[in-house]
Amino acid sequence: MALRVFHRRSLLIAATLAAFAQPALALDQALIDAAKKEGQVTWYTTQIIDQFARPAAQAFEKKYGIKVNYVRANSNEVALRVLNEARAGKMQVDVFDGTGATAALKSEKIPAKWIPEAAKRLPANYIDPEGYWVATNLYVLTPGYNTEMIKKGTQPKTFQDLLDPKYKGKIAWNSTASSSAGPGFVGVVLNSMGEEKGMAYLRELAKQNPSGLAVAARQVLDQVIAGEYAIALNIFNNHAVISAAKGAPVDWVPMNPALAVLSVISVTKDAPHPNAGRLLLEFLLSEDGQKIYRDADYLPVDPNVPPNDLSLRPDGEKFKAIYKTPEEIDKEMPRWAEIFKSLFR
Amino acid sequence: MSEAVVKATKVETRSLWARFLPRDERVILVLIIAAIFAILVLPPLVFLVKGALTITQGGETRIGLDRFITVLSLKGIWTSAFNSFVFALGSALLALIIGGVNAWLVERTDTPFKPLAYLTTIISLGTPYVLYTSAWLLLLSRSGPINSWYRELTGETGVLINVYGLGGMILIEGLLWSPLVFLLLGSTLRNFNPDLEEAARMSGAGTWETLRRITFRLSLPSVLALAMLVFIRTVEAFEVPALVGLPGRVHVLTTDIYEMMHRTMPPDVGSASTLSTLLLCVVAVLLWYYGRLTRNAERFATITGKNFRPNKIPLGKFRFLGGAVLVLNFLCLLILPMLILVWASLLPFYQTVRASAFKLLSFKHYFRIFESDRYLSLLGNTLLVAVVTATIVMVITAIAAWLSVRKLPGARMVDQLGTVPLVFPGIVLGVGVMQFFLSMPIGVYGTIWIIVWAFLINYLPYGIRYSYAGMLQVHRELEEAAAVSGASPFLAFRRIVFPLLAPSLVAGWLFIFLLATRVLTLPVLLSGPSSQTMAVAMFDLWSNGQGPELAALGLLWSFAMTAVALIFYFFARRSGVGLYGQG
Repeated sequence: MALRVFHRRSLLIAATLAAFAQPALALDQALIDAAKKEGQVTWYTTQIIDQFARPAAQAFEKKYGIKVNYVRANSNEVALRVLNEARAGKMQVDVFDGTGATAALKSEKIPAKWIPEAAKRLPANYIDPEGYWVATNLYVLTPGYNTEMIKKGTQPKTFQDLLDPKYKGKIAWNSTASSSAGPGFVGVVLNSMGEEKGMAYLRELAKQNPSGLAVAARQVLDQVIAGEYAIALNIFNNHAVISAAKGAPVDWVPMNPALAVLSVISVTKDAPHPNAGRLLLEFLLSEDGQKIYRDADYLPVDPNVPPNDLSLRPDGEKFKAIYKTPEEIDKEMPRWAEIFKSLFR
Repeated sequence: MSEAVVKATKVETRSLWARFLPRDERVILVLIIAAIFAILVLPPLVFLVKGALTITQGGETRIGLDRFITVLSLKGIWTSAFNSFVFALGSALLALIIGGVNAWLVERTDTPFKPLAYLTTIISLGTPYVLYTSAWLLLLSRSGPINSWYRELTGETGVLINVYGLGGMILIEGLLWSPLVFLLLGSTLRNFNPDLEEAARMSGAGTWETLRRITFRLSLPSVLALAMLVFIRTVEAFEVPALVGLPGRVHVLTTDIYEMMHRTMPPDVGSASTLSTLLLCVVAVLLWYYGRLTRNAERFATITGKNFRPNKIPLGKFRFLGGAVLVLNFLCLLILPMLILVWASLLPFYQTVRASAFKLLSFKHYFRIFESDRYLSLLGNTLLVAVVTATIVMVITAIAAWLSVRKLPGARMVDQLGTVPLVFPGIVLGVGVMQFFLSMPIGVYGTIWIIVWAFLINYLPYGIRYSYAGMLQVHRELEEAAAVSGASPFLAFRRIVFPLLAPSLVAGWLFIFLLATRVLTLPVLLSGPSSQTMAVAMFDLWSNGQGPELAALGLLWSFAMTAVALIFYFFARRSGVGLYGQG
């Protein structure tokens, strides 16, 4: 633990030194001045508060002196709030992120058509071709398990292993219509096995009686850590790593294939603090911003900022993933959710 | 002599003037209050029903019952309805048994350790439900101490108690409500006329027979009314069904509404409104029946008012059995949940109580709470919402109760209008208020005032009960005396009635304040970026997986609120109104 803290500190120092050594990407001073004048920015986020939202907000406040009001909810709730505010004609939110529902808001022309300068060095697949969003980090959704209940080495490694009768009643997942939940798992199974075999598999899985919890994937994993369930399906694999580093009895399984989704971020068109909002995006996508993701054990999109734990990222060989854009998830989710409801409710 | 006659006529004319003319002035006040109540209560109702009946098909909008048919033929909807019924009935019975036995022991017997029962009740009044529910879940869950010790002792791999099911839901909800039952039944038993029991004993009936045939029979109406109240509130409950029921795949009507709002994007507001409307109708019928029960119950209450102390039954050799029941209740309702929360608050991530976890304990979550200025602003928001809500509700309802008790034309109807919000389950009211403000061009949505607005609606009925019960104690002679001395009715209200009502109003104010600081459902739906309250922060912590920080925050919060609850208890006793304004 102490060693780890020391390691992080030295990384931070190195980062600071690097920042001094070479000038950062030239940020438009006019944008910074205008943002400072606005003084604050409101950010609806799906990022876990203590893992990412709070440290990122603090770093931004420290750098620019602009206050960040963050509100956390899951993707659907974030989208619903943004949608409601737009319909009520009183926009409060400047910046919002999420894994799926952003696409639904595009059709209502709620996000601004704007891509931050800092994002232009990223690979094309991390930027919306239509120009409404840019990805900040990658999520890989896999099973996680309690290492005290299932000894390392005996953990389920394939989809078939999950059907072992000894796991009956010991599997949990989030039950909302999102990729980090049961419906997302349904999607992976159907995409990788095909319709017929996939449905047959899901019917078998239903006999395991998985518990659908009305809580975020992070909380599902916490219940596994506490020993409530042995296995969590479709959790964020980096969350397992973060908890294991604190000493929690948990590990994740590189399932073939896993589901990989983008966490995308946008500025609203009618943002009350448009400049501060844009500056926040520039910040999160800059190399410094991406390092906050890395230091929080997330998977940054910046190719120059590799994750702390390289094994988290599907290498395409022994650990493959199905990649879905927010638009694709938006399109397929209703069907996945319907199948989930009919089989697992 | 003639002088006296003149004086008498003068008094006569003045009191006539006082009786008729001011009444017309007060009628204006009735209209104002009626308007306020209508603006608060009707829009969410209208929006819900409109949302349920409006059907958009291929760009065309029409009114129809199609949604009701769709919702009623949904797979599993009748199972949910049945579960709601069993859950509510079971919880009401359990709460009655636990609360009733405790109340009887404390009020009518010479059992030792009575202060423990009051301590349990007061602290439970200051504790947010979401915290209580998670504490019991930690205790009873598969990995909780009870089940893991059972596994260690017996070598079994299964569980002794499976909390995720109807049984677990009933157990936890029943425990949640038992302090309220204790308070309400306690006051019934305290105001009991002992003559009837003594007469029974004189006629040769034993303790048990007296209890069964006199005490129980006489308190039956209030017991039934109370059972009905808990039943209704449990049908409307959301926290326990969501946290305990859903993991075990037990669905009830409120969780179905929640899922309709959260399963799809954009949310299926039409179906949610339809199911809400149906639930509203069921609750309305129950409330009407509850109203009839309590009306009859008041007839039984004619024996109150005399100043007597009911005799305490000596339990003899069972005295310590009674004491044991109170201690057990104190342990189960207070000590065990608090201990598990303290344990959880000291851990970096939650683990069950075991030796290997002791080395991980630290106070860092407490430090983090004190360091974060975020909690300070949440505290400010919470107090602002609670204080504003409680103050407005008590002022409006004090006037409404005054007009109603003085039997002004239409005032009784206004009173009834104010109690309508009892039919709204929190989650339903939240949806209604949200739709109302979304369709309004005024910028209240997302601010702290939308929460205040929803709370005003939600707590109006409680305010009315307190004010009404307090108002019944103030005789009209005093106002007449004021009128004779030339005071207008408004001046009389301000200078005489209002000060006399003060203890009941303060008790009501504190009760609403406590509810407003701990209720979750409304703020979760309605809060915006800068209007979050403490309960929302607690819910966020829970769903973020920051259980230990939640435990630390919750404990600190409960300590602060227990102080408020103590003040509340003191005022409620002094006002003579009783803790829940039941008179």
